[in-house]
Amino acid sequence: MHPVQLFCWHFMAYPHLPEDFDEKYDTGWVTVPNSLWDSEKSRGLFQEYIDQLAYADELGFDGLVLNEHHQNIYGLMPSPNLIAAALTQRSSKAKICVLGNLLPLHINPLRVAEEYAMLDNMSNGRIIAGFAPGGGPENYNYDIPSVTSRERFWEAVDLVVRAWTDDGPFNHEGHYYPLRYVNPWPKPTQKPHPPIWVPGSRSASTLTEVAKRGYCYFLSSRSHGGETYKAREQFSKVLEEHGDSYQPYRMGILMSAYVSETDAQAREECEEGVWYFLRNCLKGHLRKEGRQLTFGAGVPYIPAPAWKEFLKHSDPNRSMLGDVNDWDELDKAQSIVVGSPETVHRKILDLIEKSQVGNLLIQFHLGNMPGELALKSQRLFATEVAPALREDSARVFANAYPRMEETLAAGAVA
Amino acid sequence: MSGRTLDVNGRKVSVLEDGSGEPTLYLHGFADVHAVTEGWMPFHEKLVESCRLYAPAHPGCAASDEIEYLESAEDLVFHYLEVIDALGLERFDLVGACVGGWAAAELAARHPEKVRRLVLIDASGLFVSGAPIGDIFMMSHPVRGTDYSELRAMLFENDQTPAGHALFPDGRAENIEDELRRYQMIRFTNRFGFNPPYFYNRSLRSRLHRIAAPTLVVWGESDHMVPLAHGEAYAEGISGSNGVKLVKGAGHSPQAERPEDTAALVTGFLSG
Repeated sequence: MHPVQLFCWHFMAYPHLPEDFDEKYDTGWVTVPNSLWDSEKSRGLFQEYIDQLAYADELGFDGLVLNEHHQNIYGLMPSPNLIAAALTQRSSKAKICVLGNLLPLHINPLRVAEEYAMLDNMSNGRIIAGFAPGGGPENYNYDIPSVTSRERFWEAVDLVVRAWTDDGPFNHEGHYYPLRYVNPWPKPTQKPHPPIWVPGSRSASTLTEVAKRGYCYFLSSRSHGGETYKAREQFSKVLEEHGDSYQPYRMGILMSAYVSETDAQAREECEEGVWYFLRNCLKGHLRKEGRQLTFGAGVPYIPAPAWKEFLKHSDPNRSMLGDVNDWDELDKAQSIVVGSPETVHRKILDLIEKSQVGNLLIQFHLGNMPGELALKSQRLFATEVAPALREDSARVFANAYPRMEETLAAGAVA
Repeated sequence: MSGRTLDVNGRKVSVLEDGSGEPTLYLHGFADVHAVTEGWMPFHEKLVESCRLYAPAHPGCAASDEIEYLESAEDLVFHYLEVIDALGLERFDLVGACVGGWAAAELAARHPEKVRRLVLIDASGLFVSGAPIGDIFMMSHPVRGTDYSELRAMLFENDQTPAGHALFPDGRAENIEDELRRYQMIRFTNRFGFNPPYFYNRSLRSRLHRIAAPTLVVWGESDHMVPLAHGEAYAEGISGSNGVKLVKGAGHSPQAERPEDTAALVTGFLSG
């Protein structure tokens, strides 16, 4: 039986912004003044967030997810590896997925190879190694030229993997990271190396590079209208072009969920956190309001001919997830699933049936949500949604991928 | 005006050329030929009345090929040495605006013998403590998806100038090619201007004394991208310069904002 893998993702948002933040500030990213950080109110914040992840391990989630952001209120983890290190000691069964270390922001990718190898040892082989190039805000955070950040990124990925798999010491003849001695100690526990996940937003080049290397593709889009289905089709096609085939564990998606006893109660309990997340955390990232840095002319990584196509086919006035006007619009975006266990089960199963994606990375804590609500939602999800979802998804996958058993046995999972 | 495409070491370089007289190489900036318009702007039309003007498009701009390995002012200087050879120029007048001015100063410091007269217009390229160069990349992200007023405020005297509205309008450009041109210029400068150091070469200042040509330093009186202190530093470091000539009613782009006044300064100097 091969059910969907359920992960608990924590972004660790800054929850103490003033009420008038959205009126007064044009972004939650890069230039959001850190004079807003309240040291007193923030005492114990990391402890609370780590406790929520440790609880997810107790509840039987398949994995815990962390990621790297800098100088923003959306995610307070400039070094996700520090949190991962804490989790190696606070969890026992769940995978620990860091999605990912932003390789171009590191002076030397060898440091990432070393830290992941340490974490893999410290967790007894539970690490999923995510690598990401970083988006617009991260280019500004660390002054990374966008035009070459992808090249830089893939050189770093290949260097890290080679550092884990080839015997050292060896000389790396790289363009961005020439190194005379590559010889990391320790080496990872998992052989040949921890599973590797790379996020993307449907760009053909990322899909191709991921397929070429046999890694897992993580769709970083937060909306699951037609996008997710299209991404999976696109990825399947690219995999076939590379003599490989799609099965659900080759892909993951990000979504948010809130579960409570009834639909009405769920909405009432989570609404404040949801709007805080949409209006504040997404401002500068996935909102038209303010200055959005995630994508645009200032981070010109797209070659000119592709940019011309983008100009022809896009609308600069289009709204983004953080601009939704009301709860109904939010519901349509299928990004944040809110309701009773039955409702959440139905909506997520629908998403699984349509997308055939085998890794669901679910954000439970949203914005300034009180810790006890996030814990309750995680618990209800784990006890009243997950069991049926595992069973139903296994059936869905078995029907759609009758040869999955063989594929997995052949070790095709990256 | 005629356009041609040079083959420089296997790469295409688009060049506009016009006029007769002393050969003059023009290296463009942001609110400038190749970066916002396909052909000459009024400023260049004035210049070609009294010289032979050559304006190559930077790598990746107009139909010039990108240079994949371009990542420093050094790479750009060697590119232009090859362009100069391809144009058959031995000794010439050199005019540059913004990053084009930076490239011009680098060229003149390395090859003083090639440059007859030098003009720097609101040129980046220097490190001046306490006077950081404005972040044109961040300003290239419009507010609310369509509002470029802060970009205009950085490139022009203020956000409401006619030149600013004409060249950097809000929303999507009526002609997509115009918006594409701006993108190509941003992408070109991102390769060598984005990573630290931001639009400067710390070594350039100590090399300025090598520039032998009589030099005119022109600055918009209210440049909000490359502060006037940079103009003063150029004027101080280049022995053949005679202070900074300010253009009234202009910001970072006097060639676009006050074309007649700026052209009068430049042609007066080149023919003087």
